Amino acid sequence: MASRSELSDFLASVERRAFKQALFAVRDEDAALDIVQDSMMRLAEKYAGHPTDELPLLFQRILQNAIRDYYRRSRTRMARFVQLSSFESADDDTGDPLEAIEIDEELSPFATPHAALLQAETLELVEEALQNLPARQREAFLLRYWEGLDIAETAAAMNCSEGSVKTHCSRATHTLATALAAKGIRP
Amino acid sequence: MKNEALFARQICRVLDHGTRDIDPSIAERLRAGRERALQHRAVAVESLEIVGAGGTAAWGGGHDSRSHPIRTLFAILALLLGVSFAYYWNGFDQASENEEIDSALLADDLPPNAYLDQGFQAWLEKRSSAGE
Repeated sequence: MASRSELSDFLASVERRAFKQALFAVRDEDAALDIVQDSMMRLAEKYAGHPTDELPLLFQRILQNAIRDYYRRSRTRMARFVQLSSFESADDDTGDPLEAIEIDEELSPFATPHAALLQAETLELVEEALQNLPARQREAFLLRYWEGLDIAETAAAMNCSEGSVKTHCSRATHTLATALAAKGIRP
Repeated sequence: MKNEALFARQICRVLDHGTRDIDPSIAERLRAGRERALQHRAVAVESLEIVGAGGTAAWGGGHDSRSHPIRTLFAILALLLGVSFAYYWNGFDQASENEEIDSALLADDLPPNAYLDQGFQAWLEKRSSAGE
């Protein structure tokens, strides 16, 4: 059984990513916070007796179900709204924006205002591209690559076959690469 | 496939960066939500412990999960014993009730055959209605 501190550490380690996942899906901060809160409650209440190593998959299943429940309840999904004019093209810059993020992680004291701006723009574009992915592709991509679940675990969390997970991940990566390349961001 | 995984890792690095710079008010609401969830855990664990303690006390302690089938067998035997005893006790009660009725009939001034006589029944009813 996971102790209180183990559960606390686990929730602290996933809550922000869970919020972002929910936000990408529902595009509403309050709704995303409610989804994460409900998921944390349900995990603590129903699965308190489970071992710590089972928590990541259990939590992801609860979270993904909560997101799907939100869709069912709200019935009308928000229309996709992309303000392309609000983004400046990164074409003017010679550096790779994805690399700029990496550099900042390692050498943050040397970050310049220009680099910070570039990072903020890159983050916004990446999050935007993720939001615009079809729901199942985004779900598969985030679970597989961001949450680090293996293919079988991702399939279990998504309640689909392993083949579908591979297809969704591949399509998601391709769509993201195309969308970001159009904004001047290349891998 | 390798390029795909590499690109995905780069994307995730950007996303990780985004979670670090999350709005403080949202971070605070997430922390509060976590605390509430942990309070729920405390209640859930307490309930589990009460149920566990009850089960352990009923079987005289011990935590060996291998003894579980034996416990189940004992529980079934106890249940069967209880049902048999209830059936026997019920029969015993019924017999003593019949015994009392027989004794009353035999001790009465009227012979038992009088109660089987329909004329006597009619006479009793007529007499009781006349008495009212």
